[in-house]
This record gives sequence, C-alpha cells and structure tokens, in this order.
Amino acid sequence: MNILVCLKQILDPEVPARDFRVDAARREAEQGSASLVTNIFCENALETALQLRERAGGAAKITVLSCGRPSAEDSLRKALAMKADAAALVVDESDATPDPLAVARVLAAAIQKLGAFDLIMTGREAGDWGAGQTGGLLAEELGLPCVSFVDTVEVAGGVLRLKRQTDAGWELIEATPPVVVTVTNDEHNVPRIPKVRDVMMSYRQPLTKLTPADLGLSDEARAADGYYEVAELFIPQKETRCDFVAGDTLDEKVDAFARRIVEVTRAL
Amino acid sequence: MNAAAVNEATREIYWNVTQVWVMYALLVPTALVAGYGVYRHLSRWRRGQPAARFDRPAARVGLLFKHAVAQRRTARDAVAGLFHAFISYGFVVLTVATTVVALDADFGTAIMRGRFYLYFQSLAVDVFGALVMVGVLMAAARRYLRRPRKLVHTDEAALILAAIFVMCLQGFLVEGWRIAATNDPWAAWSPFGNLVARASQSLMGPEAIRVWHAGAWWFHLATSFAFVAWLPYTKMMHVLTAPLNIYAANLAPLGATLKRVDFERTESFGVNTLGGFTWKDLLDLDACTECGRCTAVCPANTVGKELSPRDIILGLRDLMHERPREAFGLVASNGGGVGEVSAAACTTPADKEPTADMEARKPLPIIGAVPATSPVALWQCTTCAACMEACPVFIEQMPKIVDMRRFLVMEEAEFPDSMQEAVMSLERRGHPFSGTQATRMDWAEGLNVRTGADVREAEVLLWVGCGGALVERNQRVTRATAQLLEQAGVSFAVMGREEKCSGDPARRIGNEFLFEQLARENVGNLNKYGVKKVVTACPHCFNTFRNEYPQYGGAFEVFHHSEFLARLVEEGRLKPVPESGKKVTFHDPCYLGRQNGVYDAPRELVQISTRGGAVEMPRSRNNSFCCGGGGGMSFVDEPPDKRVNQERAREAVETGADVLAVGCPFCMTMMEDGVGARKGGRDVKVLDVAELLWEASRPREAGKQNL
Repeated sequence: MNILVCLKQILDPEVPARDFRVDAARREAEQGSASLVTNIFCENALETALQLRERAGGAAKITVLSCGRPSAEDSLRKALAMKADAAALVVDESDATPDPLAVARVLAAAIQKLGAFDLIMTGREAGDWGAGQTGGLLAEELGLPCVSFVDTVEVAGGVLRLKRQTDAGWELIEATPPVVVTVTNDEHNVPRIPKVRDVMMSYRQPLTKLTPADLGLSDEARAADGYYEVAELFIPQKETRCDFVAGDTLDEKVDAFARRIVEVTRAL
Repeated sequence: MNAAAVNEATREIYWNVTQVWVMYALLVPTALVAGYGVYRHLSRWRRGQPAARFDRPAARVGLLFKHAVAQRRTARDAVAGLFHAFISYGFVVLTVATTVVALDADFGTAIMRGRFYLYFQSLAVDVFGALVMVGVLMAAARRYLRRPRKLVHTDEAALILAAIFVMCLQGFLVEGWRIAATNDPWAAWSPFGNLVARASQSLMGPEAIRVWHAGAWWFHLATSFAFVAWLPYTKMMHVLTAPLNIYAANLAPLGATLKRVDFERTESFGVNTLGGFTWKDLLDLDACTECGRCTAVCPANTVGKELSPRDIILGLRDLMHERPREAFGLVASNGGGVGEVSAAACTTPADKEPTADMEARKPLPIIGAVPATSPVALWQCTTCAACMEACPVFIEQMPKIVDMRRFLVMEEAEFPDSMQEAVMSLERRGHPFSGTQATRMDWAEGLNVRTGADVREAEVLLWVGCGGALVERNQRVTRATAQLLEQAGVSFAVMGREEKCSGDPARRIGNEFLFEQLARENVGNLNKYGVKKVVTACPHCFNTFRNEYPQYGGAFEVFHHSEFLARLVEEGRLKPVPESGKKVTFHDPCYLGRQNGVYDAPRELVQISTRGGAVEMPRSRNNSFCCGGGGGMSFVDEPPDKRVNQERAREAVETGADVLAVGCPFCMTMMEDGVGARKGGRDVKVLDVAELLWEASRPREAGKQNL
C-alpha cells in the first residue's frame, strides 16, 4: 500500500501569549524567537500511517509531503526520523498569506507527480490558522472521496475501515482506496519520539525538492477562483473595567445595575 | 637479658616441621589457581572500551595513600572502619612477617633477629594477629547480630570471616605450642602466643604439644594456601582491585564524570552490553566489596523505590562472572553460535537487516537482565552522585546508570512520558518547561537589565537558566540576584532570548545528542559576545559550564551566585544589615556541593543574613540528601508515598528552622512542594540564599517588616 501524509510546518503554538506578535501590514504572525514545529494533527496523521504500516508487517510505503518555506525541510526530516520512507518538499517562497485552495492545488499537483497513492492523509486542521480546509479541497482537486476527523485506519481485504469522530459519537466507514482522510487526535495516535540514531540518519536520506513551477503551476493558476482572503489580522485587546453603580437604596442600586447590564450588552 | 643476647634474639624457622618440600610443592597449585583467577579478571576487563585512567600519576598515588592506605572513606562508618582497619592492617603486618620468614628461609638473609625480631616479628605480629581476630568478631557481630539492611548476606561472606578467624587462631596455636615446647626465652615478646603456651603446658604433655604443633602447622599452611587460591574468586579480590580502582579513579569533580559519545564512530549509543562499558567500568564491578553504602545513601532507595546502585553493580558483576560468554557475545545467547563476534560487527547499517547468524551471537542485553537494571529502576536515579561519594573504593555507579539511560533514549526512544515532554520542549524551545507562559525576560520587569549587544561590554554575564527565568517562584530569586549585583555596582548583562537550556537535563536523561546541540549553540553564542565570567544561580548550569563546556570550546570563569555574592560581601561592596536572627538551615544542592565541592559560600551568606542563625541538617555537605529533582526527575511525578522531596523536607523541618535555604531552582521547587505537603505544623519558608541576602541588603521601607 502506498500512503502519502501531508505535513505543515507552523509557528510553535506554545509560544507564550506575551511573546506573540502579528505583522498587521503583512497580515501574518511574526516568528520572533519562537520555533517552527510540525502541526500536531499532521503528526497524528503520520503516527496513524506508521501504525498502519506496522500492522501490515511493513508492507506499506509512507511518503511525506509538505508545501512551505525552505525551513519546512526540518519537519520532513523529523518525519523521516520517525521512519517515513520518502519525503518531498514543494518550496513556496511567495509572500502571500497561504490560501487553503492554492495550497491544495500545489499538493495535488505534487501528489500526481510523485505517484499513485492508495491513502492520502492530512491533519484535520493546522494549529496556526485553524481553517481546516486543505484536506477537503485536496480531495476535490484530486477528484477523490474525503473522510474527515478520522482517528483510526485499518485495512481489511482491500478496503479501508475508517473510524471517524463526530459530535454524536463515532462513525465507522468503509472506503475503497484511493481516498483522502483528514486525521484528528486520539489517545492511540500520539506521535512517537524518534530514536536519536534515526534523527542522525534522517539528515543523510534523500529529499525531493520541487517548486510550483516544476509542477507546472503559475501563481495565477494557483490563485484562480480564490475565495479566501485575510482582510485584517490583530490580537484582540482584553480590557477590564470596573464600574460602581450608584444609588441610595438597595432598590435603586439593583435598578441601576440592571440598566447598566442592558447598556453594556447592547454596546457589544 | 643483656644487650648481646637481645641482638641474637630469633627463632628457628620450620622448627618441628619435616618434609618442607611439600610446602613448596603446594605453592605450585596455589599459584596456578590464584593466577588463573586473576588472569580471568584481567581478560574480562580487557573486553571493555578504552578509558584514559593512568594520567597524572602523582595525584593518583596521593589518592591511593588517602583512600587505600589511610582508608579515609572506609573510616566514615566508625565501627566498620575500625574493624576493617584491624583486619586489613593486620593482614599487611602478617604478610610482611611471612615475607621476612621467606627471605630468611629461602634467600639466605638474616633479617629475623635482634630487636627487629622482638619488636616486629614477635610483638607487632602478635598484637596485629589478635586485632585481626577482634576485627573478625566485630564484623561477624555486626553482620549477624545487628544485620544492617545494606549488607548482602551470602555464604561467601560467612566463609571468608570464618577462614580469616581460623587462620589467625591457628597462627596463635602454632606459635604458642612452639613456645611451650621450646621454652622460648623470648616468649614474653609474643604475649598472645605466650598465653596459649602457658595454657597448653598445664593441659598437655610435651609430646602431645609437639604432635599438635606439627599438625596445626600443616593445617595452617593448607588453609592459608587455600585462602590465597580462593581469593580471586571472591569479593576478597578487593584487596587487589580496590587499590587499583582507587588508582584509576576519576580525578575530576564528581560533576565531570559523564563520558562523551563519539556520534561519528560509535556503533551503539549508550550501553546495553557489558562490552559497551569501559575497562574501568568493568573493573568497578570487581572492586565492589558489597558494603552497601551506595544503596544506603541513595535517595530513591531511601524512600522505598526499586533503584539500588549496589545491586546494579553486583547484578552486572554476576552477569560478567556467571555468563561471560553470553555477556560478551562470545557465544549465542541461545547456545547456537560459536566464535567471537564483537558488538560492533553485529550492528548493521540501518538499511540492512541483521542476519540471523549475527542476531544469534549478539551479546546479552544488560538492561533488564537483572532486576536492578530494569528500566523502572534506571528512571528513578536523580544523578545526585551520593553513591559515588559514599563508595570507599571509588566505584562510579551513576555514570553507568546514565550510560544505560542513553541506550534507552537514543537507541530505543523508550523513556517516561513526562521526560519525553521535557526533552521535546528542549528540542523545540530550548527549555524543558513544556506549556509555560513565561518568557526569558519576565523576571526583569521594572529592572534596568542589560542584554543583547551589551553583553560584550559587561564584566559579568548573569546566566539566568530556564528555572530562573521560566518558573515563577524562581524569577524572584533571579530578581534578587540581579538587584544585589546592581547594588554592588557590578557591570553585568544577561543573554535574554539568546539563552537556551545548558543541556544538563538532556544529558542526565540520556539524550547526549540533544545535549551536544545545546552545548554547541550556547558556547557559540557566549563566545560571540566574548563572555569571560559567568555567574549563575543554577548549580546544574554551573556544573555544565564548569565541567562540560570546556570540551565544546567554552572557557569561562564560572561562579555560583552564592560564591560571587559572598565575595561581594567580603570586598565590602555589599553591606547587609540583618534584622533578625532567624533559624535557617541550608540544603546543599548536589551539583554545587557534592559534585563541585562548593559548601562554604552559601553557608557564609546564610550566616551573614541571619546573624549566625544557621543550623545544620543531619545529612549535609558531601552527605547531603538530594531534593529529588536532579537527573530529569523534576519532570516526573513520583508515587505519593515515595517522594524524595518529602523525606528531605521532613529532615529540614525537624531541625526547627524557620527558613529552609536553597541554592538551586530545582531544589526550590522540590522543597517548596515538600514543605507544603506537610499537614499542619510550623510555617517554614523556603528561600534562596540570594533572597536571604537581598532581604538583609535591600533599602528599608519605613515600618515594613522584612522576611
């Protein structure tokens, strides 16, 4: 079985609140001294794939793919250290705020170039923008079915059995490959810690580097029919104010208090 | 007696003994058996990895005198030290006496006469022989009546004591019966032999005495030879291995005992086979006398956990002795393969699966091979090094634990989840406190602390450390330290956001690779700013800077803040005015005290700040009891009934102190938790020594009570 896992490198979500800054003009978060990490849901997806391969007695090949800045190579190297078999990076140096549709188009083109895959996995959403769009749009671009919020994948006689989290419980879905799944976290897919030996080896493994141009994608083609735009980006200001309501008697105070509540809620 | 007679005083060698050639004949098998025993030890040690332990011979000989000859560490346990001295010095004297006899008998010398014969060969030998017997009785009484938990109760131990006692007893009988039968004019010089002589003269006839003497002589010879032949196969081998081990000891501070890993050449990171240890590590196993002091002082063991440094050493020793061919991979663990395959040859490149044949001849994995080396036990070590400090023969228990942890972390990625979280945070963010909302400079809010390019201009770098910056309680310590430096007019700066964890937790947890990355990055940054002098409130950073960074190109003059502040007070740059004489007890941080020998500076600060109100805990200075937070253990939840910090907090509170002074951010957390876990009782504050000093030095606000 051929599995492809998409990984996104994001700003460390654990960056302390007071260190977090946004560049309002460029409409994106500033990196500052924070580190770049692999999105946790993408790591859950990779862990799910690794376990699938283990259950299959190793009879599966796992390719990891990322689209991002050159630094995203680190995320791919770490995936190799976790024992993914192959890695590819589409280097995107453009400054534009990433539009999930444009990203999905790049990923789809890369996937078509890399080969035929039975199972394509993404995280359910990324910890930076949290749009949760890329997986579904990728399926659309590839013309494949998509199952979202999956936490367990099993293979049974050429059919994929997928366990999907919903608000009401779980759904068990059988799907014939190829299929795209978006993975959510579960106690069983906590990403493993790579062995140090494998971390060292990961830097000696080949890593395919592509550009959108290699994939025949112009900037225009990627952005066509874009529906998603970041209009403004700011950190909400938290304000605490304390008013004392006046009144001579208790009744007056309660009255003034109620009026004040109405005023404040109307203003919001 | 006249002087001429005294000069001729001696005794006849081999009196009443015929067929002396039998003795020489027996020497051959004795030497062969003993020699083979020693050879077997040597050949096992040689299977270890190289280690440079023969440099600086003068220092090593000094150590040998202090700890093998003078037995300074053995003597720390008064009773055991005393009887060990009786037995060991007694043996030395008896061996010299036997050598004198051999020289006169076989090499034609005439040493054994005159005053030397009377004072040494008769009186001293008699007294020391008696002391050996007293020593053996004391040892037996301790072992079998008091039964200390730290001892290992084996038949071998009983047999050794019995053998020594019987040999000495025979010696006195042989001597006594010779004196009785020959009417030795110098009998008075052998008081105990003379006692035997007098007693036998009244009980036995002259002929019986002669017969019994001859029998006892041969029996004495047989038991002594047997003992010598048996010696290399028992823990008595320590008469040879202990001095050798002391000579080859680590001469650096205890904080500098961890080995580096050569990531380019090493086939297996960390140690999971006996052959992965150095020859010195293997010698350690044979130097052990089973005295159990290491386990008795081990904080984890004291609170009832599985970890026992003694049993790690003995467990590995038994593997080496009982299953050497499997342990060193000379034969398949399942008995299938033959021939020698080294550990290195068995490790195949990652892209090739090991062949079945190689798999079969892999040396026996040692982790989990005996209960003492189970991962559960290995993950309980706080790397406090109390075991190493307690060991009379300088065995290095803690580095072996770290070696095995390295294997678990770097080769297997198998370690406690909470430690994984700390390691992952170290990798990603350069600090081990996953989930903290604090930033590196929060502590400095409102202070005018220089950072960035100013580091180059400053005379001193204040290395804050992750604990000092990111743990709220410790931010107050960092603040106090900075304010004291400010008050003393010290030109200092901090690295701020360019600071990363020193790497200590990564190294002690066993991720040497991550440690090296952090070390290189920090040293690179510090050198970029030309840093020369570093002050830090964290003993773990202090130890890493002092003992480990030099190997990564970091040559800094490093001070613990207590040392630096004490010096500022001495120089009159700080003028503390203590208000009250509170009772304060100081808890030595392992990485400052025991591992680096800094005991006095923090105590000076305590004395200054409290007008002499310091009280000591029963376990202090080099015997200090760990707070429980070292070796990555502060990131692990201990079982509620087995917490090292509570044991230490209890000890501190029982001194009656109002304040428990600490000098380490990890100790601060562990001790606050430990003191806080008590229900009811007195209110005991936990304060860093810098906070104490700042309380006594800060500008006073009118009417405001300090502390």
